[in-house]
Amino acid sequence: MANRPPHPGTPRWVKVFGIIVIVLLVVAMMFIGGGEHGPGRHTPSGDAGGRVPPSSVVEDPAPPEGGRG
Amino acid sequence: MIMTLRLRKFALAAHITLAVGWIGAVAGYIALDVAAATCQDAQTLRAAYLAMELIAWYVIVPLALASLLTGLVMSLGTKWGLFRHYWVLISLLLTISATVVLLVETQTISYFADIAADPTTSSDDLRGLGSTLVHSVGGTVVLLVLVVLNVYKPRGMTRYGWRKQDEQRTGSQP
Repeated sequence: MANRPPHPGTPRWVKVFGIIVIVLLVVAMMFIGGGEHGPGRHTPSGDAGGRVPPSSVVEDPAPPEGGRG
Repeated sequence: MIMTLRLRKFALAAHITLAVGWIGAVAGYIALDVAAATCQDAQTLRAAYLAMELIAWYVIVPLALASLLTGLVMSLGTKWGLFRHYWVLISLLLTISATVVLLVETQTISYFADIAADPTTSSDDLRGLGSTLVHSVGGTVVLLVLVVLNVYKPRGMTRYGWRKQDEQRTGSQP
């Protein structure tokens, strides 16, 4: 098409919005990279995939009195 | 395919209801989240975590998915299109991002609720669980940005939209 009008370009508000989003994403990535993110931060091992119960839920590993041994 | 006026109004009413409901549900969730972050009482913490899971799974997630769906219907069934205007495209990307983060975050919420539901969990462990405030407040900001974009509809066509508009203009000329 010979007389197609040229695209006016990306609006300023889109550029400003994009910059803000990129800055926020970088901050979020730094936060996540610090290892203080997700369910894993609540587990003693820090393993995001592990579901380690709180200390009070873990059974006493000591054998009962009069047990084996 | 462009919807009829009656269908368009119904779809718009459904979309507004679901999207505003999403914001309202998150507001209620934040109240519980603040309690989880600040309260020291074990019973309140237990109740807050259990309620957070219920609200997240049975109110927020369905509203998020439904408003994403009605948003797609609204854009594809009207002259706005999905990729023609920057405000529609950005709204779509923000809604998808918010929904994905929400679905990931529900795992954390369920983990908190599982621990809270266990009667053997001590008060100290409950207080040490923490909250999801960063995500819930961040999600609210994203939802408010979506409201602004959808109400003000700032100008600006994508290159795809510009080309489509030109094709329609030349196609309608005799």
